[in-house]
Amino acid sequence: MARLNDDAQWIILMGFLVSFSFFFLAIVVNQSTVVGQTTAESVIEFPKNDIRDIRDVIIRNTTLSNQTAVKSDIRAISMSRKNAVVDYDVYPDKSADIHYNNGVTEYNENWTPR
Amino acid sequence: MVSGDGGQLYTIEGVAAGLIMIMTAYLVVNATSVYTAGDTHINDMQLEVLGSDALKMMGTPANITMNSVDNSTLRTIIESNDGNKFNATFFPLINNRTLQESDRFIQYTASYTYRYGVDSVNSTFITSSRNLTGGEHTVRATKWVVVNKQLPGDSMVQDRAVLVEVLMWRD
Repeated sequence: MARLNDDAQWIILMGFLVSFSFFFLAIVVNQSTVVGQTTAESVIEFPKNDIRDIRDVIIRNTTLSNQTAVKSDIRAISMSRKNAVVDYDVYPDKSADIHYNNGVTEYNENWTPR
Repeated sequence: MVSGDGGQLYTIEGVAAGLIMIMTAYLVVNATSVYTAGDTHINDMQLEVLGSDALKMMGTPANITMNSVDNSTLRTIIESNDGNKFNATFFPLINNRTLQESDRFIQYTASYTYRYGVDSVNSTFITSSRNLTGGEHTVRATKWVVVNKQLPGDSMVQDRAVLVEVLMWRD
């Protein structure tokens, strides 16, 4: 603009720069909420303890003389309390096939005693 | 305007720059300590791991050899319905810390679930450190135990698998 002192244009330009950087910082802070939530949720959703526990109880009891009741127990309780389909077979050499599926995570193992 | 006010613009700029610096410092400091809704899961996870570990310790026999009879603490407790022993073992396991913050304990209520009939399940209360009122934010930890016991609906003592379930919450 004619005859006005236009020295302050730099200040205005810097003002724009600063406000844009604020905008990007705000985006970063905003995204951090989403990141924390999904990581924590996916960690808590993975049934690490369930699989370890079911594996432990099956392997430790491959030597039971009568598997029928225990097997029905594990299948029924897993379904109703853990929402997981669990099935296993123990063979005469005490090896075992273990299957676990809760709809999201599936785990299969063929275990043989050493 | 009086003469000699040429510095006013610099003053305003100085104040604005100061404000911007303070805001930036605030954002930087705050960014490391943003506590989001998702972060509550981390506390839950820690509590769940603590409970699972405590139950795992109780479910491990003192003398662990393959093919031997599992005489873990947890098995003994369920076979003899010993709620007091459960409390005496489990409560210190989840609450003993180096720094004891006055009386803020982790509370729990424990039960075990067994199969009744063909496919239905029942739960039996074991013990609790405090009654559940419904307002607590609880986390569940579980452990499978094979017991040699006559459960309701059984005609004799036999090997059965039961699921020990513990609900825990910070008081």
